[in-house]
Amino acid sequence: MKSISIYLSLILHRTDLLGPIHNFLLVFLGSSLILGSLGMVLLTNPIYSALSLGLVLVCISLFYILSNSHFVAAAQLFIYVGAINVLILFAVMFMNGSEYYKDFNLWTIGNGLTSLVCTSILVSLITTILDTSWYGIIWTTRSNQIIEQDLLSNSQQIGIHLAIDFFLPFEFISIILLVALIGAIVVARQ
Amino acid sequence: MMLEHILVLNAYLFSIGIYGFITSRNMVRALMCLELILNAVNINFVTFSDFFYSRQLKGNIFSIFVIAIAAVEATIGSTIVSSIYRNKKSTRINQSTLLNK
Repeated sequence: MKSISIYLSLILHRTDLLGPIHNFLLVFLGSSLILGSLGMVLLTNPIYSALSLGLVLVCISLFYILSNSHFVAAAQLFIYVGAINVLILFAVMFMNGSEYYKDFNLWTIGNGLTSLVCTSILVSLITTILDTSWYGIIWTTRSNQIIEQDLLSNSQQIGIHLAIDFFLPFEFISIILLVALIGAIVVARQ
Repeated sequence: MMLEHILVLNAYLFSIGIYGFITSRNMVRALMCLELILNAVNINFVTFSDFFYSRQLKGNIFSIFVIAIAAVEATIGSTIVSSIYRNKKSTRINQSTLLNK
């Protein structure tokens, strides 16, 4: 999978098509993300919204591949789409009472107020993003980096960082996973 | 310019997630919108790691931890929701005292 992307990038660098294909894929994935998230929030059937959440998660995984982060893309595909989305689908189907199909979206005052607050959050975030000078930050951080790690792939670098720099969070994550597993079994057993 | 487009897209996903989280009458839909919020933050981390730290990969590692924590939280959340449903037979989100007694 990673070698395929490397071969494709080598070929496309020769024919000078990497930039436009990159842009086209970004636009395509962005539009499918927008439509999927809108469908997830606005659809009334909970199974449809869970399936559109699956579409959003798969598109995010393809997004990670475009950003040269192959390990995180594989982890997203395995954990989010393969485990969390299936868990959410099980929860939806387990609790599918008869009240959900009659529950059409009434536009209440709370809905309008929340949409106003969310639009104001979005507008403030967009103005903050467009006002920041990102390329000044790039010039200051690119000069601080170690250049010796050029020959390693993405997964190897993540493995090195997890084993050396982030060893303690790694152990804590394993303890958290163990505690959550025990807690879920204890609660579900009664 | 591409960085700003991706950041605007992530801000949009974040605000859609907040809107769906607050205006959902169903607890499972609130869990789904929470996953959407966490994923929007994750794309931000990975994008910054790609643009700024392409050799140190700090954002990538933090996003791996965020994925693991989101998995744990989805598990615990669905367990609690299923126990609420088993006890009270309804998953309306405005009945927040369902786990009493």
